[in-house]
Amino acid sequence: MIIRRIAVLGTVALLWCVASFGAIASSRPEPGAMLRDWYFLMNELVRHTPTYSPPVASRSFAYLGVTVFESAVGGSDKLESLAGQLPGLTSVPAREAGARYDEAVIISAALSDAIVYYFGNTGPTGQRSIKNAKAKWHAAAIEGVPADVVTRSEAYGKAVADAIYKWSLDDGGAEVQNMGFPFELDLPKGEDKWVPTNVIRQQQYPLLPDWGSNRTFASPSGAACATPGNPTYSTEADSQFHKEAVEVYETVKAATPEQAEIARFWSDDPMLSMTPPGHWVSIALQVAEETNLPLDENVDLLARMGIAMSDAFVGCWHEKYVYNLLRPVTYIKREIDPKWEPILNTPPFPEYPSGHSVVSGAMDAVLTAFFGDNFAFEDKTGSPDGRNPRFFTSFSAAAEEAGISRLYGGIHFRAAIVDGLAQGRCIGAYAVALKTRK
Amino acid sequence: MRSSFAAICAMVLLVQPALAQVPVVPTYVDETASSGITTSYDGEWFFMVGGGVASFDCNDDGFADIALPGGTALAQLYVNRSSKGGSLTFQPQVSGLELDSVGGFYPADIDSDGITDLLVLRVGENEVMRGLGACMFERANEAWGFDGGDAWSAAAALTFERGASWPTIAIGNYIDREEEISPWGSCTDNWLHRPGATGQFAPPLPLTPSFCALSMLFTDWDKSGTPSLRVSNDREYYEGGQEQMWRILPGEAPKLLTPAEGWKVLRIWGMGIASTDLDRDGYPEYFLTSMADNKLQTLAAPTGPAPKADYKDVAFAKGVTAHRPYFGDDLRPSTAWHAQFEDVNNDGLADLFVAKGNVEKMPDFAMHDPNNLLLQAPDGTFVESGETAGIANNGISRGGALADFNMDGLLDLVVVNRNASAQVWRNTSSMAGKWIGLAVKKPAPNVDAIGGWIEVTHDGVTSRRELTVGGGHAGGQLGWVHFGLAAADKATIKVTWPDGTQSDFGDLAAGSFYRLERDKPAEAVTLRD
Repeated sequence: MIIRRIAVLGTVALLWCVASFGAIASSRPEPGAMLRDWYFLMNELVRHTPTYSPPVASRSFAYLGVTVFESAVGGSDKLESLAGQLPGLTSVPAREAGARYDEAVIISAALSDAIVYYFGNTGPTGQRSIKNAKAKWHAAAIEGVPADVVTRSEAYGKAVADAIYKWSLDDGGAEVQNMGFPFELDLPKGEDKWVPTNVIRQQQYPLLPDWGSNRTFASPSGAACATPGNPTYSTEADSQFHKEAVEVYETVKAATPEQAEIARFWSDDPMLSMTPPGHWVSIALQVAEETNLPLDENVDLLARMGIAMSDAFVGCWHEKYVYNLLRPVTYIKREIDPKWEPILNTPPFPEYPSGHSVVSGAMDAVLTAFFGDNFAFEDKTGSPDGRNPRFFTSFSAAAEEAGISRLYGGIHFRAAIVDGLAQGRCIGAYAVALKTRK
Repeated sequence: MRSSFAAICAMVLLVQPALAQVPVVPTYVDETASSGITTSYDGEWFFMVGGGVASFDCNDDGFADIALPGGTALAQLYVNRSSKGGSLTFQPQVSGLELDSVGGFYPADIDSDGITDLLVLRVGENEVMRGLGACMFERANEAWGFDGGDAWSAAAALTFERGASWPTIAIGNYIDREEEISPWGSCTDNWLHRPGATGQFAPPLPLTPSFCALSMLFTDWDKSGTPSLRVSNDREYYEGGQEQMWRILPGEAPKLLTPAEGWKVLRIWGMGIASTDLDRDGYPEYFLTSMADNKLQTLAAPTGPAPKADYKDVAFAKGVTAHRPYFGDDLRPSTAWHAQFEDVNNDGLADLFVAKGNVEKMPDFAMHDPNNLLLQAPDGTFVESGETAGIANNGISRGGALADFNMDGLLDLVVVNRNASAQVWRNTSSMAGKWIGLAVKKPAPNVDAIGGWIEVTHDGVTSRRELTVGGGHAGGQLGWVHFGLAAADKATIKVTWPDGTQSDFGDLAAGSFYRLERDKPAEAVTLRD
């Protein structure tokens, strides 16, 4: 089990290989491997921090990605800073010229602070885990490193984390109240409009209605990569809208075991899983581990992924509150079969476009650009919850399956999936276009 | 002038039906300072859950005494020295319960000797403490063959299986406390301690899968005559888990209820269970505490001899989501723990108390999270009255108990707080209805008739209460069962014993306590003034 390896990090630390490009060679953790272990822990925190709905999780992954990327830039002759490329990020602390640094210590120091910046609202168990992980991994990182190098490296890692955190504070997403649900909101009126789909009092207003106006990273704004809009609402039997509703209805009623398994594999419910952003991070971590990705490539990948997924959710949420479309469960119960129930829990916000599809399209764009077309992999993300690993022939195939899983699960119409994947790929292209290499 | 008078009359006519729906708000007075109670539930991570209180009579004077857990400090027994109708006064007593690492207590007469024993939940080895009388206890793990194990135990329930002379105890265990960095997914096995040799427990049976239980209750949810074990689990720590119901049939291995039997997946931060038959259909409703929204479950189709275990959530419809503080500036979501249905204003309708408190400085959840007192209106909805009633506190609460500590027919309240003294409130209501207090007894085994039911009928309406040991959050009550009677001067009393047979105790006058013993007439109990 992936998460179990975190607990035995201290034992395996001595077996790790020499740092990939660090200035000091020793038997300490390889920085890329250490980085991945921090991310495994952060994925646990996404699941176990109640505010971490998918948009909120994606934002944290973006800032964490930029933090580790900028921490590593000064130690690599391959990487180029994102300062000046991302809105509001004009500069990042620089290293002392000619001074000696240790990459593992820098990463450890930067993430020790960043994890508190972005997961400081986690519960007591998360706080305890952070505290224990920081102590354990700090001890592993500084082993055998001269004291002056440790001091200098830690100060640098902290300075980068602090600079990125300060930059993050005015993007519109830093403060999330009531787990993202408004206390009051005027809901748009109309038979095509979203209405609450459950009897949870807190969720009678939709999640994060203003998220679409947050500052983006690589894409110009939440309005970039606009969708064509949902098919015109209609209850006429021959209308496209009704046909798509019937498709959802009949698919769920006749779902094959594999379709049901696919729906649950990509379910990624907040607070019960690492959410869709965390799922894609998990995929990246598995691939990075299997390919023994060196630190500079690892930070490049995590930064681009974080940026793309955060922009994807801003863009998706922008569109969701343009159209405010009702969910399949509402339409089907009203127009087709009042006793129908979807396989998955219907998320408490408007339907179009599909968030999982948008983020999956964006991740397809980034991962395919990074690893290439037809990169086959096995995704074991669902294993801790008892679901079987799934094999994919490419990241594109995985994204397509993630998208269609929402139709199998009965929570999205086809248009939201098709248009969502396209919107995500469009947004992901902006992250791919960032210049991270010299 | 005339038109003004007509308008007022019209307003009165319009308002009257609404007023008829408003329950009488009881009056509670905080008597902590003078009560003698000072025990604080101390500790950090290992004691973020637990904090359950036991309310029971340990010296046979008819007044409910209390045992309070101390967490890292020692637990403490308090003997009730209150006078009838007087202020609440308790005296700490050295009792043998001065144990550390205690998270909660459940009272039950395990050996059926007529003296209440205690099941002690600990972070470490659980203990069964034999009641010796005069509020003294001794460890009985070895004598009763009880393997206390070594776990983070946070829930318990007890029943007597059909034909058994010794009880069955379920223990709910929480996280693997050896997991320092990644405790998620490390839920340890719950245990089922069934009878073994005469007067002994068998080695505990693991209730696999286990999902970090924080409340358990043996309850006859389907009126089959055989209680099942309902388990409420904390989704913060399990992977692939859900709420559970185990069918526990005598001589058979426990079986989880399945989707084919109607059971639906529900994943909440399950922390406490309260049950009562709210809609008077004979089947209990279950209130499940959690974070943000709480749940109130009722059978979707309570029909036929074997209803399906298909529950629907009616918390929103009934007004008991209690999802965030009901007053003050702190609007963040709530965190709920102990819950208990009781009639606090004696109007014949079960009300609901919920203890609230942040897990531990979780910034996304309310820090000022007052306990709830939700009063049931005649239409079955509930009205929040905690602030008006005077029980809204500033503590970080966990366990609690509603019990009539001064034997005046009004239910008082004790609440356990984290890292602060427990609190007690006296119910001093002057507008409450009439009441009756009942204690059910039968010959050994199972002298307290656990698994039985009491039916109280007045004004053509019947209220039913299941006699249970378990539920709430880490603590329970044993002793007088309280019924409000509204304006009725008397009530007709019937008891269904655990074996399914029934006894009619006829009409009993309101305003008294009665001992209902099997095959004997009801006996009015005289208490000290």
